[in-house]
Amino acid sequence: MKVQTAKILYNKEAAPGYFRIGLSWKKPAIKAGQFVMLRVDTGGDYPLRLDPLLRRPLGVYRSIGAGVELLYQVVGKGTRILSEKTAGEFLSLLGPLGNGFPAPPKGKKVILVAGGMGIASLFMFAARLKGATLLFGARAKAETAVADDFKRLGLKIKISTQDGSVGKKGLVTELLKDEITDDSVVYACGPAGMLKAVSRICHSGGVTCRVSLERAMACGIGVCLGCAVKTNPHAGRSDNRVYQMICSDGPVFDAGDIDWDAF
Amino acid sequence: MTKSSLSVVIAGIAFKNPVFTASGTFGYGNEFKNYTDLNKLGAIVVKGLSLAPRQGNPGPRIVETPCGMLNAVGLQNVGVDAFIKEKLPFLKKLKTHTIANIFGETISDYVEVARRLDFAGGVAALEINISCPNVKKGGIVFGTDPNEAHKVVSAVRAATKLPIITKLSPNATDIKVMVRAVEDAGSDAVSLINTITGMVIDIAKRRPALATKTGGLSGPAIRPIAVRMVYEAATVAKTPIIGMGGIMNAQDALQFIMAGAAAVQVGTASFVDPDAAVKVVGGIEDYVTRNKTSVRGLIGAARG
Ligand SMILES: Cc1cc2nc3c(=O)[nH]c(=O)nc-3n(C[C@H](O)[C@H](O)[C@H](O)COP(=O)(O)OP(=O)(O)OC[C@H]3O[C@@H](n4cnc5c(N)ncnc54)[C@H](O)[C@@H]3O)c2cc1C
Ligand SMILES: Cc1cc2nc3c(=O)[nH]c(=O)nc-3n(C[C@H](O)[C@H](O)[C@H](O)COP(=O)(O)O)c2cc1C
Ligand code: FES
Repeated sequence: MKVQTAKILYNKEAAPGYFRIGLSWKKPAIKAGQFVMLRVDTGGDYPLRLDPLLRRPLGVYRSIGAGVELLYQVVGKGTRILSEKTAGEFLSLLGPLGNGFPAPPKGKKVILVAGGMGIASLFMFAARLKGATLLFGARAKAETAVADDFKRLGLKIKISTQDGSVGKKGLVTELLKDEITDDSVVYACGPAGMLKAVSRICHSGGVTCRVSLERAMACGIGVCLGCAVKTNPHAGRSDNRVYQMICSDGPVFDAGDIDWDAF
Repeated sequence: MTKSSLSVVIAGIAFKNPVFTASGTFGYGNEFKNYTDLNKLGAIVVKGLSLAPRQGNPGPRIVETPCGMLNAVGLQNVGVDAFIKEKLPFLKKLKTHTIANIFGETISDYVEVARRLDFAGGVAALEINISCPNVKKGGIVFGTDPNEAHKVVSAVRAATKLPIITKLSPNATDIKVMVRAVEDAGSDAVSLINTITGMVIDIAKRRPALATKTGGLSGPAIRPIAVRMVYEAATVAKTPIIGMGGIMNAQDALQFIMAGAAAVQVGTASFVDPDAAVKVVGGIEDYVTRNKTSVRGLIGAARG
């Protein structure tokens, strides 16, 4: 769990604005759903670049022979700088961090729900499941470039896009309404609005739902208290904290624990 | 060069080196045990402690800014009693000093927290965070009013034998007036700067990026302001100064020492690199060795 310097093995555009980056990492013991904090700077001891200052949280997409592959979308200055890095350069990496997804209970029908880049946090988990269904919602076709990776795992896949360029036109929550049954268990990762809606659908069906949440992070290790998410008062918890930290208590939470009105 | 070329004495306490962690950026120390060698630190200053546990502010609590960040954590902490019971035993076992940062909403809050820490033992000094609103005085911030600052420090002074470091707010009009006020009240050292109030607006949402609207700016963005304030404080201070604000490496730390600080604290840098403070120790050691000097010999070296 120390900070390490990782060599970039490759950094290639999978679809316009979407990159796969391979990082060297000896024997990473990573749980599905965990993430890393990357400094988009050189791997040296002192940060040379003070802007952007903070590390960027990215989920671990999958393990590859010599390390890990991450999947990211260019959204701002950090991910833009990252996209300009080339094989052979170094990055400073902190991780793996966070709790990861708990294994599904036996005999349940497992449904994965991904919205946009939320797909990145689900691959390692999906790789361990048999007979699961992936519902993948995206804005347009470009975002669904990695769907083939999931197909190769043998998952049943249903896609929806907002522009109808591939799959069903509309929101992924519509797919979920058709798919969900009493004996389902749902794992979701994606934008806040989608997670709220997924959580509502699961709640009204009495279905267990785990969500992987995102919020701006400074430390990634539970000390800056910046990534707080408001949770419901919960009798089962040993403390009575109102706020949980997404980086160290999560990023995966039971959807029933989250105060969605405050999210 | 002997190890003692790094040591400094502040408020009667001998520190093996002048590099401490800044409150709120290093948790209660134990969170960093896998990432850095805690025993190499001059001191660990823990997250601000209040009488009762505090849940903190709603999110979003942080936003990145050019070379810095704004935070509005809202002083979330476990409370002084849980700190003494659950966090202090770990800190006591380390070969470094623990400094407890304390705050309150009223003067009697501060006093009670100080008393309990004094009684608990294992704490080398108190750092009083006066950048907090006094709820009994209509929310006026202790640290921006010299009379209020004097009152709170005097009250804590009367309640404890522990050395007192008073942490000053950069949002005060004249830092020199604040230094005099808290020294007069019995403070044994001053530390500065705390964060500077700032705001970021999310233009997509057309509202401030933080739930509380404003937050405290920290990181390299504030360093020149912090160095200037330490330099100014040193023109009047009779007690040692502990400088901080945007220190990322030893070069930055040395600026504070040469401006007049006897020690420094590393804050936001620990988020970027959890080993940052220990690296600063190493860098200062290199510097004093190379220049055949000591930290004590560098304090205020840039002052005419
Ligand atoms: C646990 C976790 C896992 C993630 N996994 C992935 C992933 O696998 N692939 C991927 O493409 N993205 C992922 N994200 C989102 C990713 O962190 C952001 O897209 C990225 O930080 C944006 O940085 P930027 O500098 O390009 O954007 P800017 O907008 O310039 O960033 C400004 C600040 O906001 C933060 N920020 C912006 N968007 C987000 C966001 N959605 N979540 C958290 N912080 C944000 C940045 O970290 C930075 O501090 C994940 C986020 C979290 C919290
Ligand atoms: C997330 C965060 C939380 C902080 N919490 C406290 C606190 O509880 N008490 C306090 O006195 N200062 C607190 N500070 C201020 C720091 O101790 C320090 O004074 C300031 O961040 C400037 O130093 P830096 O630029 O090196 O971070 C906090 C700062 C940050 C970034
Ligand atoms: S990012 Fe610092 S507590 Fe989660």
